[in-house]
Amino acid sequence: MRAARQVGRSLPRLEARAKVTGRAEYIHNLQLPGMLYGKLVRSPIAHGTIRRIDAEAARAMAGVHAVITSAEVRQIIPSPYYGPAFHDQPILAIDKVRHIGEPVAAVLAADAAIAEAAAQLVTVEYDELPGIFDEVEAATSPVLVHEALKPAGTFADLKHLGGKRGTNVALEFRLRRGDVERAFAAAGQVFEHSFRSQPVMHTPLEPMVALAEATEASVTIHTASQSPSFVRIEIARLLGWPENRVRVRTAYLGGGFGAKLYIKLEALVTALALLARRPVKVSLTMEEQFYTITRHACTVRIKSAVDRDGRITARRCEVWWNGGAYADIGPRVTQKSGFTAAGPYDIENVAIDSVALYTNRPPAGALRGFGIPQLVWAYESHTDLIARALALDPVEFRRRNILREGRPQATGTVMRDAAIAAVLERLAQKLEWGRPFERGTGPVKRGRGIALGFKASISPTASVALVTIAADGSCAVQCGTVDMGQGSDTAMAQIAAEVLNLPAESVRIVHPDTDVTPYDMATLGSRSTFHMGNAVKRAAEDARDKLAALAAELGLPPGANVEIAELFRRRYGMQAGTIIGTASFLPSYAPPDLATGLTDNATPFWMVGATGVELEVDSETGRVRLLRLVTVADVGTPLNPRIVETQLSGAAIMQLGFTLLESMEFDRDGQLKNPSFADYKIPGLGDLPARIESETVAASQHSGPFGAKGVGESGTFGVSPAIANAIHDAVGVRLTSLPLTPEAIYRAIRAAAGDSLAEE
Amino acid sequence: MMPFDLVEPGTLREALALLDPEDSAVRAFAGGTALMLMMKSGFFRPKRLVSLNALAGDVASLSLSPTGELRIGAMVRLAELERAPEIRRAAPVIAAALRRHSNPRVRNVATVGGNLAHGDPHMDLPPVLIALGAEVEIEGPAGRRRLPVDGLVSGYYETVLRGDELIVAAIVPPQPRRRALYVKCTTRAADDWPALGLALSLEADGAAIRAATIVLGAATERPMRLAQAESLLAGRTADAALIGEAGRVAAAEAAAAIIADARGSSAYKRRLLEVELRRALARLLDLPAAGETR
Ligand SMILES: Cc1cc2nc3c(=O)[nH]c(=O)nc-3n(C[C@H](O)[C@H](O)[C@H](O)COP(=O)(O)OP(=O)(O)OC[C@H]3O[C@@H](n4cnc5c(N)ncnc54)[C@H](O)[C@@H]3O)c2cc1C
Repeated sequence: MRAARQVGRSLPRLEARAKVTGRAEYIHNLQLPGMLYGKLVRSPIAHGTIRRIDAEAARAMAGVHAVITSAEVRQIIPSPYYGPAFHDQPILAIDKVRHIGEPVAAVLAADAAIAEAAAQLVTVEYDELPGIFDEVEAATSPVLVHEALKPAGTFADLKHLGGKRGTNVALEFRLRRGDVERAFAAAGQVFEHSFRSQPVMHTPLEPMVALAEATEASVTIHTASQSPSFVRIEIARLLGWPENRVRVRTAYLGGGFGAKLYIKLEALVTALALLARRPVKVSLTMEEQFYTITRHACTVRIKSAVDRDGRITARRCEVWWNGGAYADIGPRVTQKSGFTAAGPYDIENVAIDSVALYTNRPPAGALRGFGIPQLVWAYESHTDLIARALALDPVEFRRRNILREGRPQATGTVMRDAAIAAVLERLAQKLEWGRPFERGTGPVKRGRGIALGFKASISPTASVALVTIAADGSCAVQCGTVDMGQGSDTAMAQIAAEVLNLPAESVRIVHPDTDVTPYDMATLGSRSTFHMGNAVKRAAEDARDKLAALAAELGLPPGANVEIAELFRRRYGMQAGTIIGTASFLPSYAPPDLATGLTDNATPFWMVGATGVELEVDSETGRVRLLRLVTVADVGTPLNPRIVETQLSGAAIMQLGFTLLESMEFDRDGQLKNPSFADYKIPGLGDLPARIESETVAASQHSGPFGAKGVGESGTFGVSPAIANAIHDAVGVRLTSLPLTPEAIYRAIRAAAGDSLAEE
Repeated sequence: MMPFDLVEPGTLREALALLDPEDSAVRAFAGGTALMLMMKSGFFRPKRLVSLNALAGDVASLSLSPTGELRIGAMVRLAELERAPEIRRAAPVIAAALRRHSNPRVRNVATVGGNLAHGDPHMDLPPVLIALGAEVEIEGPAGRRRLPVDGLVSGYYETVLRGDELIVAAIVPPQPRRRALYVKCTTRAADDWPALGLALSLEADGAAIRAATIVLGAATERPMRLAQAESLLAGRTADAALIGEAGRVAAAEAAAAIIADARGSSAYKRRLLEVELRRALARLLDLPAAGETR
């Protein structure tokens, strides 16, 4: 009997009931016998050397088990520096602090309240150093965040930076295509603008948490991590142990968005557990996340040459990424996102310089979109400004320049399965772009805007999956993809079920545990549907082939309609045995040339997302009200249309917060002025547009599982510039710095009228 | 958070006895929404919290007298206030103001007494109560006293309450022929504290204004009566020019008191005051709102 098709179903999330009834497992709730709580003593300054740490009073407090500093950590881990791109981040500060809130010491106690109170008693004396906070200034500043660069060696293209001194530049990516200088010299018109994105935060509902239990022979780490395999490799490296002595497991994550990637608290809890010889748990408060990982502030300078027909003939992009004190995955953002900085347009001559900088701000890493929203903010604002200057319709101007199927992108990689033009056309259609638009009356003006972005998948990365069939025919999928709310469990179940002709509800997903689930690079960058989806599909096919082989071995004719349980019974004489299907998936890739950034195989797939907004601006106050937020994306063929829709709208709303509300505000000394959720405002229900519409275009990713590809980030791409373009449309002013606050808009309106509002 | 004593007396007398004016680590605990934030941040470390949540009777109930006087017990939750039919009848502006106050979770537990006693200048309710001419009833070792709400707050997070006193009720006098309006201006998320709050109460016949009370909240150290704007309007028949003028006068008289913070510069808040007062008057008086467009 053939089950109904499993992919393409809007199956509700498999864990939905457990979540709404409070039964889903989160590491946050985990307690172990004998467990200690660790509380961190953090740096109150942005840059300085540590003169003295006085922990006597804290150690003397009743109930305190230990106070740990880097001196103790180094007894068990001689070189306690970690990181995915650079081994630059110490488990606890060594001799120096490089950002506000950097962990300097950890206090352990069986009672979390005592640990917290004792942490207040640790006094640290610092000699303050001048700090560097601005990404553009950091490129040439004499203030150095690190004395020498320490690339991890994980990425071949960073090896040449090893030991480099006297610079804050962690990575410089260059792309050179055609002859930009000649094109600018010959151009009809040249346009140049600068755009800035502010630092913001992931704000997962469940803050980072990790718990380690150690013996002489092994360590087990329970962690809310998006990358358990990476954690295992990194911990094994730090300890000098083989991987098989390190076990890393996760449960559901209360959101991740890139905050829980690579390695965060895991090395710390491991060191603490080994030193204390007790299990140790560190769970951050919501507020401590401000000092843990952020999204890159970013400055983009972009310049274009346009000919008489409205064709862009050349574009130069200079991008400065504010990586904060530790590189985290910033160098990847700099390169992998950097090479799309010229936008989804067909441009003969392109030059891109994308630079990752160290500063004395909290570290920046990956956040839903991996740098793309900051780039689209620049190139789609710029594109709109050019269209205006040329008096061309913004849709028409984009149409003339759009990067079409079969044409080379800036790297030289030929576009395949990237429905950029279809996405633009569908968006224009949904907005009824050709129709006259109501502009409002009185002080409230209406406007509309669009923006279009694209993203390459991170490459090359591997996923390995196991699909097991038990003797009763039931199926389990063992894979390292972390379900942090994006619905990956459901998608993987649908894929395995489709291959094995089962209802997806009956498939069990085994959550990441490096003792039982095989390697996966990480759950990031919208890669899991494609990479792990392909691995699960192939592993399921492998299991299906093995079932067929078993049937043949039992003398059954091909296609014989015998139940799986019956096959096992006949083979083993009882309900016994297991069939294990396995597969690994690693797409092909060609690294970019170091000098030119060119490659003919930059990515296994492209994500495309466009945003349209209609809004009102109160010209007397600058207040904006969104009437309509439309997202159109190419996600290949959706595996689960309902989940795809909520991923698109969720991503758009998150980026809406980064566009209108959220901003980490630092003063001149690098102090964070708003380190609480009373002062760092994320969107609430009252901030949502009246209408939110999300749609995919008919498309297929031919190399993806059942035509599917990633979707988690595509809804973020166009939001910021679409809103700025619509504000411009409504009240004739252009904002180039995020967030777009009412006051900033009002000030721009007044400035445009030649009547600037007083500063204070 | 370090351990502390939590006591839950059953009577007001016991509650008063458990307070200690000499020790700032002993405090009354009502809804706890303000206190918990202070405790979490380490700003307040209690020794003893005197919970008022077991108090019954007057302190925890709301009543409307035949003359139209509202008596709101200190332990009445903001959500109860928002929904009470008495409020809708006697002072609908309170219910309307609460609808955009914080969020339902906070409103379900936060109390009127805690709201007033906190002395936080960024709040929505105090300017509304001031505009309505409300008073607070306070009980202490020396008995009961009454104060206008306007006289309760003495400065930035400071009130005239002594450490051994409790607010027992807020009293809103009858509001015959009065029209009131509260405007909450947020400049960040919609559920944020206000950048600026504007409470108005007018006694008027059509556009003929007999008296006006205008209270500015959130933008200044403590709620501020805008006396010049009030006297400009009193005894005048409003038109577009007058309400525009009122906005400008208000912005000018509040200018020196308006504080710049993360919610906006002082110049921007002055501008908001000017525009929002003009628009609020237009709404209350049924005039066209259009002012000048900049
Ligand atoms: C997330 C959040 C959002 C918020 N948003 C807004 C907003 O948009 N607008 C706004 O105006 N406010 C807002 N608030 C503040 C809120 O209004 C106050 O926290 C609340 O009103 C305080 O009341 P409570 O009963 O919880 O006071 P508690 O926290 O219990 O007490 C506050 C203070 O009052 C004292 N106290 C309590 N009751 C009495 C009494 N009867 N007599 C004497 N002293 C007493 C306490 O000792 C303490 O010092 C928000 C608060 C939160 C947590």
